[in-house]
Amino acid sequence: MNTGKRKQMAGLAVLNLIFIVICFIALIPILYAFGLSLSSGSAALGSGLSFFPVSPTLKNYAAILVDEPFLLWLKNSLILSVGTMVLAMGTAVTAAYGFSRYRFRGRRAMLQLLLILNAFPQILSMFAIFRLFKILHLLNSYGGLIIVYAGSMCIFSIWNMKGYFDTIPVEIEEAARIDGAGAGQVLVKIVLPLARPAIIVTAVMVLIFVWNEYLFATTFMMDESSYTLAGGLYQLQSGDYSRSWPLFSAAAILVSVPILLVFFRIQKYMISGLTAGGVKG
Amino acid sequence: MKNRHRLLPWLYSFPALILISMIVVFPILYTGVISLTNMNLYHWDNYGFVGLKNYARALTKVDSGFLSALLTTVLWTALNMVIQVTLAFFIALGLNVKGLRLARLYKTLLMFPWAMPAYVSILLWKVGMFNTEFGFLNKVLTGLGLGKWNFLSENVPAFLSCMVLNLWMALPFMIMMMDGALQSVDASYYESARLDGAGFWKRCWYVTIPSIRPILMPSVLMTTFTTFKQFDIIYLLTMQKGALSGATLQTIITYAHQNAFVSNNYGLSSAVSIVIFGIIILFSLVTNRGIKEEA
Repeated sequence: MNTGKRKQMAGLAVLNLIFIVICFIALIPILYAFGLSLSSGSAALGSGLSFFPVSPTLKNYAAILVDEPFLLWLKNSLILSVGTMVLAMGTAVTAAYGFSRYRFRGRRAMLQLLLILNAFPQILSMFAIFRLFKILHLLNSYGGLIIVYAGSMCIFSIWNMKGYFDTIPVEIEEAARIDGAGAGQVLVKIVLPLARPAIIVTAVMVLIFVWNEYLFATTFMMDESSYTLAGGLYQLQSGDYSRSWPLFSAAAILVSVPILLVFFRIQKYMISGLTAGGVKG
Repeated sequence: MKNRHRLLPWLYSFPALILISMIVVFPILYTGVISLTNMNLYHWDNYGFVGLKNYARALTKVDSGFLSALLTTVLWTALNMVIQVTLAFFIALGLNVKGLRLARLYKTLLMFPWAMPAYVSILLWKVGMFNTEFGFLNKVLTGLGLGKWNFLSENVPAFLSCMVLNLWMALPFMIMMMDGALQSVDASYYESARLDGAGFWKRCWYVTIPSIRPILMPSVLMTTFTTFKQFDIIYLLTMQKGALSGATLQTIITYAHQNAFVSNNYGLSSAVSIVIFGIIILFSLVTNRGIKEEA
C-alpha cells in the first residue's frame, strides 16, 4: 500500500515537471519579448541567455509612446474597430433574430450559403476588392476598410447570435405580443436585453478581429498617418529592426495586453461561441 | 407565425444581406470574372477575355507552381493536424490525472499563445526566436557550442519552423477542446475497463478515444480548415515585402496572394482563388453532411 502511494507521488512529481517544461516552452517567446522590452538597446545585442535584463528600464515604453506615433495608431485602430462593430452588429442583430425566429422560404438555403461564404478566405478576393476600391476611391479611407471588415464579421455575428436567440423561449415574446407589443417593440424591449451576454461577447470578438488584422490594414491604408496598431507594428519590425528591436518588443507587449485581458475575461464564451457558431447549426 | 410574416424576416435581414452581397459575394463574382481575363500590370484597363486559359495554366503546367503549392498545402495540413491532435490528446490526458493540483494554473498558462494576437506572435517569433543574429534559438545553439543556423533560408527548415510556430499557436485551443471532451467521459467506463484488466493504452484506444470522438469532431474539422487556409505564418516569416528570407515555400493561399500582389498576374491569381474556393466548398459539403440543423 505504502509503495503504491509512493509510486503515485513520484508519478505526479514527474507529471508536474513535464508540465512546468511545457508551460515554459509555451511562454518563452512572450517572456523573452518582455525581457527585451525592458532592456536598454545595447544589452539586447549581448550574448547571454538571460530572460531578464540586468538593469531593467522602461525607456522603450516611453519611447514608443512619445517618439513613435503609437497613440495615432491606437486612435486609428479604435476608429476602425468601433466603426466595424457598430456596422457589423447593427446589421447582424436583426438578421440573426429574423433567422432564428421565423421560418420562411429560403431560410435554410440562406443559412447554408452564409456558412460557405464564411469559409471563403477573404484574402482570395482581396485583389478584386482592391481594384473595386481603387475605382471607387475607397482606398486609404476608414470607411472603405470598415465595410470590408464589417462584411465578413457580419456573417460570423449572424451565426453566433442566431445560436443564442434559438435558446431564448418564444413564449416570452408571445406573451408580450398578446399584451399588445409590436414586432419592433418585442425585439428592442424583450429580446435584446435577454440576449445581452451573446451580443456583448460577439461584439468583443468583432473588436478583437479588427484589432488583430494586419493584411487588409497594410494593403488598403498606404498613408503613414492612417496606420493601425497592426500596421505600425508591422512597420517597426520590417524596418531596421536590429536597432528598434527592444522598441518593437515593447510595442508588441503594449498591443497584446488589452487583448489578453479581454480574452481571459470572455474565454469560456469564446470556446462555446467558436464551436457553436462556427460549425454547428 | 409561419405564414403571416413572409416579408418581415427578409426585412430584418435586408441590411445585413446588402452588406454581405456588396463586400463578400460581389468580390467573389468579380474574382471569377477576372479569372477569365489576361489582366496583369500591363493590361490593367485594356484586358481581354481569354477563356479558361488561366485555369489550364494553373492546373496543368507544372512550372506555374500551383500544383507543388497544393502538395505543400496538403502535406502542411496533414502533418500539422496529426501532430496537433496527438500532442493535445496526451497533454489533456496529463491535465486530467487525478491529484494534479496545479492543473488549473497550467491550463491558464498554456492559454497564452492562443490569446496573443496572431500577427504579434508571428512577428515575435520572427525577431525573437528565429532571428539569425539575436534570436533565442540561435543563442541556445551558440550556447551549446553549435554554430548559428538560419532557420528560414531553405525550404525544409522553413517548413518545419513554420510548423513549430503553427503548433505553438494552435495547440492551446485543441488542448482546451480535448480537456473539455475528456471531462465529459463517464468515469465508470474507466472503472469497468480497469476491472476487465485493460492497461493504459487499451483504455485510451477502446474507452477514451471512442467517447471523445463525436464531441471533438466539430473542433477538429474547424482546425483542419484554419490550418488549410493558414496564410499569416508563412507570409510573415518568409515572404514579407523587402525581407524575403530565402525560402520559396508556397501554400495555395500564399501562391494566390503572391500572384496578385507581387508578380501582378491578376488573372492567374483569380483563377487559383476560384479553384481554392471550389475545394473549400467541396470540403464543407462533405463535412457538413453529418451536421444537421434542428428544424
